[in-house]
Formats: sequence, structure tokens, C-alpha cells
Amino acid sequence: MKRAEAMYRKLPKKWIINLIFAAVLAILVIYSFQGSHINPIRLRQLPFVIRSFFRGFGNILWPAFFGFGGYDFDESIVYLALETLAIGFFGTLLGAILAIPFGFLAARNIVGKHVAKIGSVLLIIIRVFPEIILAIILVKGLGSGAFTGILVIGLHSVGMLGKLFAEAIDEMDNSSLEALDAVGANGWQKIRYGIIPQMAPLMSSITLYRLDINVRSATILGVVGAGGLGALLTIFSDPPAWPLLATILLAIIVMVLLVDGVSSYLRNKLV
Amino acid sequence: MAKFTLTNGKIIVKPFNKIWLVLGALIALVILFSYFIPLDLVNFKPDQLPIVLKKMFTPQRNRTWADYFEFIFSLQDLLVLTLQMCYGGTVLGSLLAIPLALLSSKNIVKTKFVYGPARFILNLFRTIPVTILAVLSISMVGSGVLAGIFAMMFFTFGIMAKMLYEVIETIDMNCYEALESTGANKLQSVRFAVLPQVFPVFIGYVMYIFEINVRSSAILSYVGVASLGNVIRENELIGYDRIGGAIIVIFVTSLIVQFLSSAIRRKLQ
Repeated sequence: MKRAEAMYRKLPKKWIINLIFAAVLAILVIYSFQGSHINPIRLRQLPFVIRSFFRGFGNILWPAFFGFGGYDFDESIVYLALETLAIGFFGTLLGAILAIPFGFLAARNIVGKHVAKIGSVLLIIIRVFPEIILAIILVKGLGSGAFTGILVIGLHSVGMLGKLFAEAIDEMDNSSLEALDAVGANGWQKIRYGIIPQMAPLMSSITLYRLDINVRSATILGVVGAGGLGALLTIFSDPPAWPLLATILLAIIVMVLLVDGVSSYLRNKLV
Repeated sequence: MAKFTLTNGKIIVKPFNKIWLVLGALIALVILFSYFIPLDLVNFKPDQLPIVLKKMFTPQRNRTWADYFEFIFSLQDLLVLTLQMCYGGTVLGSLLAIPLALLSSKNIVKTKFVYGPARFILNLFRTIPVTILAVLSISMVGSGVLAGIFAMMFFTFGIMAKMLYEVIETIDMNCYEALESTGANKLQSVRFAVLPQVFPVFIGYVMYIFEINVRSSAILSYVGVASLGNVIRENELIGYDRIGGAIIVIFVTSLIVQFLSSAIRRKLQ
């Protein structure tokens, strides 16, 4: 027992360092609240706000949702939700197609160490460039609309898709390529029978994962004019029109949950 | 379908390639979704892009380069405000996510009636876009830093809980069982068997979500939370060079944050 206690005392005193770290983090959190002031009038309204938020879900505006009554189908929320879905879909498709050459460019076993370094730095820069900034620049430069949204999402997803593709290509099994070499296959045949069968399931799984992310961000990008549901969110947010916001939110929840479910079902089937 | 006859008389039929099924479905989806994307080339003016870029990244309207950079450095107050929101929101949201993540993991809570609903709430929470969270927080506490922190916190909470429970489910359960067999209660077992295994990954995820939050903070300006995006919003019509200055600040900040966080993450592994 004495020995165990002695050993226990000998343990490095890590908790002191951990405590200092935790204290610094906590002080920073307190600092981050600096300058925030609580508006007492708003605070008194808090129960009212919460009630009206949940009441908004009670009377969802079905005519606006499905586009009947005084609304055209072209202006209904279902139509805009489908437009958002289309932006996410085409954006992902564009991103995946663009990411294939980038993936090969950043794969060490295809282009060598030095070129791969350049390729991966390029991909990092694309990935770090904020999507919303890209959307603002492209909306100003190319005009607003769903088409710009597709371009934004496509270009931005190249960053992550290219990186994951490059990792997939890096870990490719070379033995089947050698076997194809041995039977005298030409370049196209090597790609068709050696690379595509290995890469296709993994790459589709990565792309499906990205589809889920892209549909979520397509719901936001409309805020700056890149098409989809987002534009309505800014219009009805100040002052908040809860029934309309709840109607939009319902469409978003259904759409995102659906895409999430389909994407993870297909991914489970693939891998 | 191609048939081959081998020398011993066996007939081999080439199996149906499923790729055609997948391609067919893809083409059908493309046709279906093209209905919703009007290809109006009237609104699409690619010749504007270089002009707009030049307007954004060179001084405009009799301003000099000195003015341009002076403006960039005058944005530091807004930058501090943005970082405050992102930091507070990320840390608090991540901490709040830990209990829900534990409740959602199959290997810690073995009853389906607990982890099923917990996961459902988590998934539902994750679907709500950050803009709606911001609108809700503004109507609760008024516009300002606090609303930004709350919006970021709710947003972080959703992502972190999901990512964390997926990690918790992959940990080595042997130490957990060993602790339980010595008579430790659930809380103690989690503290000494689960947390040490998950902690490095958790810190990595906190950094990762902080990156995401810094990058997406500009969007909050569009629903009324003051951040760097305000500059972009206020100069929407004229003053493209102001927008360009704000864009440079946001991009450089995201680059620095990305660099720092990947350095720390590499150290942790």
C-alpha cells in the first residue's frame, strides 16, 4: 500500500498546467461577453417571443407552403425548397467533377511529392476562402440567381472534395495496376479496369457526404442573393414574422432531414 | 449481354453492370432539377466579374492606397467583436454538447428509449440554419454581441454533439468495463475511461468548429448581428473598395485561424 501511494505521489503534476489552461480559456470566455448588454425591455418580452415562436408552428401558412390560394406555385415555399435542393445537387455535381483533376494533382503516388505539395496548398486556399465571401463576390460579378449559387457551391466544395479524393487516391492498391500491366493493358484499359472500380465507391461516398453539407449551405446562401430559400429569411427576419419563418423552417427541416437520410442510406450501401 | 463459350463448353454470361442504373438515376435527377434552375443568360454577365474585382481590390473614388490600408486597419474593432462572438459561442456550445453527446451514444447509454430521442433532438437541432438561430436570439436578447454568441452557441451545439457521439461510439470499451467492475459509478467511469480517450479529438473538433464559425460569421450581419459583414452590407451599392477591404480582413483572419488550429491539432496527435 505504501508503495502504491509513493508511486501515486510521483505522478507528474499535470493538473497544474491543465488548471492554468482552463483558467485562461474561462477568462477568455468572460472577456468575450464584454460589451454585451442585456436589453431589459427585450428580456421582459422573452415569454412572449417564445410563445409567438411556437405559435408560429401552430399556424403554418399552408397556402404559401404549397402555393395555392393567392399564391402561384412558382412563388411557393415548396418550389423554393426544390430550387435550393437543385442548387445543392448541381453544386455538388460541379464540385465533384472539378475535384477529380485536383485530387490527382494532389496525390503523391500519381504526380510525385513536389507537385502534390503545390496541389494540396492550392486546395487549402480554396477550402479556407469563406463560402459567403465567394458568394458576395460572384453575386456582384455575375448577377444574382440560382446559377450563381451553383457556381459558389461547386467552387467551394472543390477544396474539401479534392483533399478527400487525393487521400483516397493515395491509398490506392497498386497491385491491380501491376497485374493489368502484366497482361498488356493500355492506358485507358488501366484506368477503366484498375482505377475506376477501386475509386468509384469511395468517391461517390465522399460526394454524397458533401451533398448533405451543400444542401445545408444552399439554404443560407440565398441571404446574399445566390438563389433559394435564404432570401426569404432576410426579408422576414426584421421584424420577425414568426408564422412565415416557421413555414420556411418546416420546409428546411423536411428537406435537410430527407437529404441526410438518403445520403447516409446510400453511403451505408456503398461502403 | 455478352456470352462467352469456354473451351470446355461452359457458357459464361457477363453480369449486368449496375453503373448504368446509377447513371440513369443521375441523368433523371439532372433533368428533374434543371426545371428549377432557369438558365437566364440575361442576368448572367461574366464580363462584369473582372470589373467588379478591380473595383473591390483597388482604391475607388479619389481614394489612395494609404486610405485603403488605413480603412483595413480601422476594422480591428469589428474584428475583435467577431472573434469574441465566435470564441464565446464555440466554447460554450462545445461544453453544452458533451452531456447530449453522452446521452446519444449507444455504448454508454444502452437503452434505446434514451439514445433514440436524444439523437432525434440532435438531428432536428442540426437542421436549423444559423440565420434562423440568430433571428431567434436577437428577438430574445436584442442585437449585439450576446445575440451573436447565442447564435454561434446553438449552432456549435448541434454540430459538436453529433461529431462527439460518433467518436464516443468508437472508443475502446475495455477500460470502461474494468472501471465498472471495480464498483465505480457511471459518472466516475465516464470521467476516467471515456473523457481521457475523447479529449484530444474533442479539442481538435473545437478548433475545427471555431474555424467554421469564423468563416461564416459574416452571414450574421444580414440578419442584424453586428460583425465584419456589416461593412459589406453598408457599402452594398457604392464603395466596392470598402467591401474589398472587409473581404481581405475576413480572408486573412480565416487563414490565420486555420493555420493556428492545424498546428495545434498536429501537436495533439
